[in-house]
Amino acid sequence: MNSTDLLALLPLLLIAATAILVMLAIAVRRSHLASALLTVLGLCAAFGTLFIAAPLVPRDVTPLLTIDSGALFYIGLILAASIAVVFLCYGYFKQEEEHRPEELYLLIAIAALGSGVLVCARHFASLFLGLEILSVALYGLISYERTTKASIEVGLKYLVLAAASASFLIFGIAIVYFEFGTMDFGGILPDSPAGAVDSATIAVGVTLIVVGIGFKLGLVPFHMWTPDVYEGAPAPVAAFVSTVSKGAMFALLIRFFDRSGMRGDSSLVLVFSIIAIASMFAGNLLALLQDNVKRILAYSSIAHLGYLIVAFEAGGAIGRSAVAFYLVAYFATMLGAFGVVTVLSRPGNDLGDLSGYRGLFWRRPVLASVFTVMLLSLASIPLTAGFLGEFYLVAAGVSGSLWALVIILVVTSAIGLFYYLRIVVALYSRTAQPAGAWPSRINSHSLSWTLGVLTAAVILIGCYPSPVMRLIQTMVAGSG
Amino acid sequence: MLQLLWLIPAIPFLGALILALVGRAFSRRMVAVVGVGSVAIAAGISLAIVPAALALQAPYTQVLWTWMNVAGFRPEIALYLDPMSFLMILVVTFVGFLIHLYSAESMEQDEGYSRFFAYMNLFVGSMLVLVLADNLLLLYLGWEGVGLCSYLLIGFWYKDSANGLAARKAFIVTRVGDTAMLIGLFLLFHNLGTLQIQDLMHRASVQWPAGSPYAIAAAALLLGGAVGKSAQLPLQTWLPDAMAGPTPTSALIHAATMVTAGVYLIARTHVLYSLAPQVQFAVAVVGAATLLLAGFSALTQPDIKRVLAYSTISQIGYMFLALGVGAWAAALLHFMVHAFFKALLFLAAGIVIDALHDEHNIFRMGGLRKELPIAFWTFLIGGCSLAGLPLVTAGFFSKDLILWNAWASPHGGLGLWVVGIAGVLLTALYTFRVIFVVFFGTRNTPVTHRPRYRVIVPVAVLAALSLVGGLVKAPLLAFLNSALPALVEVRAGFLTELLSAIVSGLAFATGLGSAYLFFIRKRQYADALAASSAGRRLHAFWLADWAFDWFYDRAFVRPVVWMAAINRRDAIDSVFNAIAWLNRSAHFTLSRSQTGSLRWYAAVIGAGAVIFAGVILLA
Repeated sequence: MNSTDLLALLPLLLIAATAILVMLAIAVRRSHLASALLTVLGLCAAFGTLFIAAPLVPRDVTPLLTIDSGALFYIGLILAASIAVVFLCYGYFKQEEEHRPEELYLLIAIAALGSGVLVCARHFASLFLGLEILSVALYGLISYERTTKASIEVGLKYLVLAAASASFLIFGIAIVYFEFGTMDFGGILPDSPAGAVDSATIAVGVTLIVVGIGFKLGLVPFHMWTPDVYEGAPAPVAAFVSTVSKGAMFALLIRFFDRSGMRGDSSLVLVFSIIAIASMFAGNLLALLQDNVKRILAYSSIAHLGYLIVAFEAGGAIGRSAVAFYLVAYFATMLGAFGVVTVLSRPGNDLGDLSGYRGLFWRRPVLASVFTVMLLSLASIPLTAGFLGEFYLVAAGVSGSLWALVIILVVTSAIGLFYYLRIVVALYSRTAQPAGAWPSRINSHSLSWTLGVLTAAVILIGCYPSPVMRLIQTMVAGSG
Repeated sequence: MLQLLWLIPAIPFLGALILALVGRAFSRRMVAVVGVGSVAIAAGISLAIVPAALALQAPYTQVLWTWMNVAGFRPEIALYLDPMSFLMILVVTFVGFLIHLYSAESMEQDEGYSRFFAYMNLFVGSMLVLVLADNLLLLYLGWEGVGLCSYLLIGFWYKDSANGLAARKAFIVTRVGDTAMLIGLFLLFHNLGTLQIQDLMHRASVQWPAGSPYAIAAAALLLGGAVGKSAQLPLQTWLPDAMAGPTPTSALIHAATMVTAGVYLIARTHVLYSLAPQVQFAVAVVGAATLLLAGFSALTQPDIKRVLAYSTISQIGYMFLALGVGAWAAALLHFMVHAFFKALLFLAAGIVIDALHDEHNIFRMGGLRKELPIAFWTFLIGGCSLAGLPLVTAGFFSKDLILWNAWASPHGGLGLWVVGIAGVLLTALYTFRVIFVVFFGTRNTPVTHRPRYRVIVPVAVLAALSLVGGLVKAPLLAFLNSALPALVEVRAGFLTELLSAIVSGLAFATGLGSAYLFFIRKRQYADALAASSAGRRLHAFWLADWAFDWFYDRAFVRPVVWMAAINRRDAIDSVFNAIAWLNRSAHFTLSRSQTGSLRWYAAVIGAGAVIFAGVILLA
């Protein structure tokens, strides 16, 4: 490891430093504002160092990590989303600071670090390391409102299931290691040209790895935890779970299958097709008549990850660009949607019930309009980022001749339109809630600014996507 | 200067947006400032780019927005400026502005003042998009936009259900043509792979030989759209009923926007028509037939606005005739002149109607020459231009050019020329019928309202243009011919250009003389003619527009209504209900799996692992 390696690694190092600094700061003196500010500054600094690292890539730093343009892109996405979540958390917990929200930011920084490690991983050890850094931080984040029973319950659920799936993963890794004697992604199947998974042992090993990854992504049939966790966790944390943790895992999924050469395997393709189809159908159908907005968003995220698998299967440059673009759109939209929920919620008392959103437009027109934009983007209506994302996915699927998957994608997103519009209808319903049902104005600038930026991003990317597309195309061209 | 091009459609849209969103809160004065001002700025910009546009060597394309560039799919919004579109925007914005100015006064008492200007601005904006589009899809957007606005404006006084009916009729009848056009666009895109107009024309001329069935189908389908929008046979029935809207609306529909869209479409895609000579001939025949039919109908109408409506149909028939014989520039020249005098006629008629407390029937007017001198003189000028008073009016020059081309063009012939001459006679007859009945004779209804300056200025300007508009004929034709293929005159024969002009002048004089005879000197002749049994029948037949409405009602409207009635519980709906039911059931079934119990969740993960391992092992 030389100094250039260190420079390339600078983003991750700075995230780690942020976590340590925040921890020390809390030890010295508790201040909500100070820890939030410190976290934001640290993450922004890490974001800035991406530009230092950019000319140095691609480069392998230690046998564990590889920093290429794809890794930097996803680290940037993770950092941007984490910063947005910090802003959301600040506005959310400012209302009741007796919850001692300071350590929350520490956990966010750690989770961002874990996600950053995941997107750089080229080795099972770093994979597991990143995964566990992320997971352990998430346990704390999900049950952060330790005074409410629901929060503790979902935290525990997540803990048990995540631990179980991690054991699946590690067992799978062990089997693969047993077969090939290497933990490096590139060392798996180096000799078999077609990339066939022939022996039964490897098949079981790979399946177990898929289980571990599928759990984090919330794909069917490993999705069961998603709605419960989203409902029980504080709204900004749910935003974090649905974006950063899933996005990082997806980047890892692509890297793992591209580097290991297992992408071409027909039985794995079949498995992923089943997972994609099941996720698209189950996610959308489960959300259909659901009455809790946070659960609807959870099911929606299941469906969206199912859509993403279509582009993943298509592969190639267009598949990877489609995934990257879709993740950008999905991040902005999901953060925005949960941001609106955050504005209307109080710690320990999140506004989940759909009936609670009835007539929001007539009292809080701007907020309701922002939510409408986010919902339309989730439903992929033209001129929103979501539409272009889905268009990109379909283009990728068509270029890979994945006709069945593409048709199911279109059909299920038509089903999905129903429940997004159901929320929109509620927002504009004339039977308004009594005055005082909602806070009369956004209580914090951090919330209003975050929502403003996210709304602008969703619309801007929807109308003028060229800059983002160019960035992604450069990224894809630069990463092997 | 040309960089400002995008502002020309954008500013009327902005005006419409402002008026639609906050217009209610504005004072009337403010509404007028925004509504008229937006079109005035657009007209100003059009005038400002005149030098740049004249100096233009090649067409100018302004790319406004590239939405995305994915997998070879690259939708672009771009404006295309060439002599043809430039002439169109000049006329649309300038005449549109005059009409807006007029409306600011004439609609002042209306409760929907801001709504009116919002629609009008949207109308002008859509028309500008239509003519500036460099892509047929964008053109179609403007096309549908003007369709929507005409619907909104015809039904502007929606409290009277008859107006709503007229609006719906206009929308549905033009929709028939729009559908044909849409199919034409699909056909073009499917076969040539683009809708970008210049590319499309180029590829068509390379890939399709003359007379190719694709070219014929595409040209015919586009013609279907054009006859719908431009109210030509057989889809002309909506235009007379469209008189239900406010008078400035009629002026806008007839002069600056909407009905000329069909003419523009055909001229824009003229390459297709050159590849499909049969369809091009059909255009000429449609135009000739329409101009005669509408001329006869105009003879019998008692409603002053309906006379003008039929005259529009008839005059657009002349433009179609010109297009059909390949005289593209002549059609556009007549479009411009027609925009001047038709706007003038409607606005002058509006003065009369307002003065007589909303009286439309010409036989209850009479003797207004002295009472309303402004209306009289301007209507007279407009009427002379419409009928083609030789040498002094613009209408004479443009129509004369069309007549000459109908004979001299390789696609023309004696038949088309004779029909055109007959049309001149008819036009003079019905025009002076209105003028003599309305402004001469005895006064029947007292004048209650007189125009002020915001009404007088537009009609005066338009009157001047109707007279001198013909002077620009030669330079304008040269300008247009730099973008459009010029007409090659092949036929000389016994007919020379001078002779053709003399004959058309004689036809005009005959029409004028007959009108004088029937409606000033010997009114009883006209009455006797109309009272005779043959005359009565013909009168009723023409009054009802050759029974087109009667026929369409029985052939299309009633069967559809009847079928809708028997299919009241839509059978096809049950399919969709079944889909909804299926989804609901699937939702409830799946919901049962979300038990909330941890051991079940873990068990499902385990089961998933087993199943997938099985899939990999067995596959």
